[in-house]
Amino acid sequence: MLTRRFLSQFDFFLFLAAVILALIGAMGIYNASAEAANYSLFVRHLQWIGLGIVVCLVVTLVDYHILTDHAFLLYGLTTLLLLGILFFGKEINGSKSWFTLGDISFQPSEIAKVAVILVLARYLSEINASYLEHRHLFALGGLTLLPMFLITLQGDLGTALMYLPILLGVVMVAGLRMRFLIGTIIIALCVTPFGWFLLKDYQKERILVTLDPGRDPQGIGYQSRQSQIAIGSGGLFGKGLGQGLQSQLGFVPEIHTDFIFAILAEEIGFVGSIFMLMLYLLVLMRLIRIAENARDRVGILLITGVTSLIFFQVAINVSMTVGIVPPIGIPLPLLSYGGSSTITTFAALGLALNVHQRRFVYSPASGPDPRSLRSHLPASLSKHYNS
Amino acid sequence: MPVYQDNRELLQRVRWLQVVFILVFIGLFAKLWSLTVLDFELYKNLAERNRVRTIPELAPRGLIYDREGRVLVDNVYAFNLLVFRDEIQNVSETLDFLVDGLGLDRETTQERLKETGIYDIYRAIILKENLTLEETTYLLARQAEHPELGILKQPRRIYRYGSLAAHVAGYIGEVSREQLQQSEFKKNRAGDIVGQFGVERTYDEGLTGKDGRRRVLVDSRGKFLQDLDHSEPIRGEGLTLTIDLDLQAEAESQLGDAPGAVIAFDPQTGEILVMASRPAFDPNQFALRITHKEWEQLLNNPDHPLQNRTIQSTFSPGSTFKIIMALAGLEKGIIDSETSVYCGGSVDLYGNRFHCWKAGGHGQVTLREAIQHSCNVYFYLLGQKLGIQDIASFSRRLGLGDSMGIDLLGEVMGLVPSEEWKREVRGEPWYAGETISLAIGQGPLLVTPAQLARAVGIVATGKAPRLHLIKTESPQPPEQSLFPTPHFSPENLEMVRDALWSAVNEGGTGRAAQVTGFDVAGKTGTAQTISLETREKLSDEEAEQFEPNAWFVGFAPRDDPEIVVAVILQRGGSGGSGAAPVAREVLKVYFDKHQKAQPDGMELASKIKSKPRL
Repeated sequence: MLTRRFLSQFDFFLFLAAVILALIGAMGIYNASAEAANYSLFVRHLQWIGLGIVVCLVVTLVDYHILTDHAFLLYGLTTLLLLGILFFGKEINGSKSWFTLGDISFQPSEIAKVAVILVLARYLSEINASYLEHRHLFALGGLTLLPMFLITLQGDLGTALMYLPILLGVVMVAGLRMRFLIGTIIIALCVTPFGWFLLKDYQKERILVTLDPGRDPQGIGYQSRQSQIAIGSGGLFGKGLGQGLQSQLGFVPEIHTDFIFAILAEEIGFVGSIFMLMLYLLVLMRLIRIAENARDRVGILLITGVTSLIFFQVAINVSMTVGIVPPIGIPLPLLSYGGSSTITTFAALGLALNVHQRRFVYSPASGPDPRSLRSHLPASLSKHYNS
Repeated sequence: MPVYQDNRELLQRVRWLQVVFILVFIGLFAKLWSLTVLDFELYKNLAERNRVRTIPELAPRGLIYDREGRVLVDNVYAFNLLVFRDEIQNVSETLDFLVDGLGLDRETTQERLKETGIYDIYRAIILKENLTLEETTYLLARQAEHPELGILKQPRRIYRYGSLAAHVAGYIGEVSREQLQQSEFKKNRAGDIVGQFGVERTYDEGLTGKDGRRRVLVDSRGKFLQDLDHSEPIRGEGLTLTIDLDLQAEAESQLGDAPGAVIAFDPQTGEILVMASRPAFDPNQFALRITHKEWEQLLNNPDHPLQNRTIQSTFSPGSTFKIIMALAGLEKGIIDSETSVYCGGSVDLYGNRFHCWKAGGHGQVTLREAIQHSCNVYFYLLGQKLGIQDIASFSRRLGLGDSMGIDLLGEVMGLVPSEEWKREVRGEPWYAGETISLAIGQGPLLVTPAQLARAVGIVATGKAPRLHLIKTESPQPPEQSLFPTPHFSPENLEMVRDALWSAVNEGGTGRAAQVTGFDVAGKTGTAQTISLETREKLSDEEAEQFEPNAWFVGFAPRDDPEIVVAVILQRGGSGGSGAAPVAREVLKVYFDKHQKAQPDGMELASKIKSKPRL
């Protein structure tokens, strides 16, 4: 029975942790809407969460090997989507990164992350060396930079930058020689001054303000400042649910989306913030655990991509909310309002659940999976023969 | 299983990721701890300040009433434009907005913002008063873009009858930087509106209420959300003047726009009934933040409308001084009721010829007749006998040449000349001939109308209460100087009073002041402002500016006087034809109210009330 086999292998722990985080996020969105008493965002977000859960389960159901087999096709399609958006997209908040269908807006740059995770894992799974060579790095870099470039063209630098952690994560795990790592850092340092001139003025300003918060308390630093005020004034136990006036009254910008953590921290305080971060940490630890038990190389690499994506987004979003890094406009996975981000995160978690689901070569409930034999045994064996 | 061994290296690296996660999360925990626990107070205060706005609620000043309880100075509520300077994001944008929509002058507004830079930043500044409906609409429509601007209903001073009793009521204005240094204003903060003149100034402390404030919750765009707390403004204490608006209005309309003054008071109590000085100003101009131009106009007006002529201007008393001369002569025993002098129209003394105003002379005159007809020769001779020292000392005993302690600022002392004064100030000896001029109130002697009125009050009653503007049930003004009541023989006083009565009622120079049924006693004066020799050198046109000042001082009724009045009309011609009729009209109103219409004196009062002069 598909259902019984599915349930017996399903990682409820990871799934429930993610759903709880999503519901905490929904609560934050509800409270952030309290002042305006307009709960349409909340209702819509609940729908997104529902849809996300469905997507998550669907992704879990389809064997991840089918997905990795068609990774290049999926990658190609999303790249076309990103290209198309430059011509047919809708501009929201200065970024031309939205497709609209009726009253539903959709950001392909979010979903493309899953495609990139798939394509990187697929590419790396076929390299059976301890360390990566130049050509591998160039190929991987190219595969990542193409969508990044297209997204930057859309004017959404923040989202584009979130592709780098995925690349970094999988490359590190796949085996990056120390000299490449050092070389990359040196090149990055050399390029940075030139990159500075490529940045837009407001981006430069954001960086400067983060380095020196007193630089412009009313201007660019305003967002960051207000967010810190909201969080700080929450204190140890918070002001109580629905009492986050600082956030509700509009002092903290983007409160439903990028700064959702601020209103939650204001209302549930330090203790509540730690609880939320611990949930994220549990999710991440659980992902690592799934990687450890993964059946094959591509599974491990998929999890690595998913883990990197979630970890870096959480780390950077929370850092930006508490004022460690400049506000660069990336959502907090699972907590922030937004369909694209919610569905992408659930889809990514679906990949992880998928890997967990198929962690045994011979599934005890259903017998051997011929597909896994076909695609991976030879690869592993060939390495075995070579050594 | 080889499949798993194959990935050991990979998994080793994956496990390292956990270390990275934990380190980063510890970093985030630490930052959160520092925000929410270590710096909690700081952020709590910043949050408070973010959304709590303190809106000042100005307390209305106390109302000012006349002696019959009629409101002279009131408050109305007007919509004012305030700027919350701590909310200003971009000064020039704010200015653009105001210049475009309200027609404010950019320079002036900028200047005002700069000036008010010395105030506490959280203090709202008034940028425009009395907004029109259109202006209010303009501001409200764009309120969301300009959280730094607010419209507040605030009390504004209104002087119901415009310039009526302007010098008594005074005016208010923003406390100046210089004033803040003075002890009188030590309770004030920059930006406060304080009394600057008149009783508004003298009784500022009582009239000033206690400002309230409202603390409200606003959102990030400054939109009002809810009240937090509210302390009601407390209106200042009311002030009841001794002024009678009926009499005051009559006096001012009699004076018209020509420079002049009327003061009337109750000689039994010292309550001032009329204090009129024309031309006057409209204190409402000041209540609406007087512009520089308007202020200049008032200052440069040759007729000095800001000056309260009853206490701030000095004049030669002219023949009215004969009252004091007569009393001095009687008290010194130089003359008595029988003493008579022959007036042939002039008298030669010290080598000069001194003229009587009546060319043919008055013939043989006693004191009574000399006062009745204002005979100069009689007083020349009396002056000669009295001498400068006695004239000066009696003048002082009757309160000339000294401050009166009236509860208004800026009173001047006038001048009683003496030998010492002449030596010290002019460096010359006193000439005997000057005593002769002084005897008829000419020469360096200078008095204010109020001083002269009080001197006549002493003659009328023998009492010298301090003149004041506030009814006694109201807070007592601070004692400035205590004038010792001089003692004179009642017979002598009666003799002078009788003579003054005859001047009005027996065809004397003051006959124009006669009021049927009211025993008015008084004396006219026609005070030259230049000497006869100078007059002859001038053309008629030039001489017009030096027309004599017309005086009338008197009291009524003769027995048990209730009212003393002094009138001066600058360049008003003779006292008998210029000033006496003014006094008559004022006294007539008083008489109609108190005697004829007894006991219901409010009939006329209501008439005035229904015709406010705005």
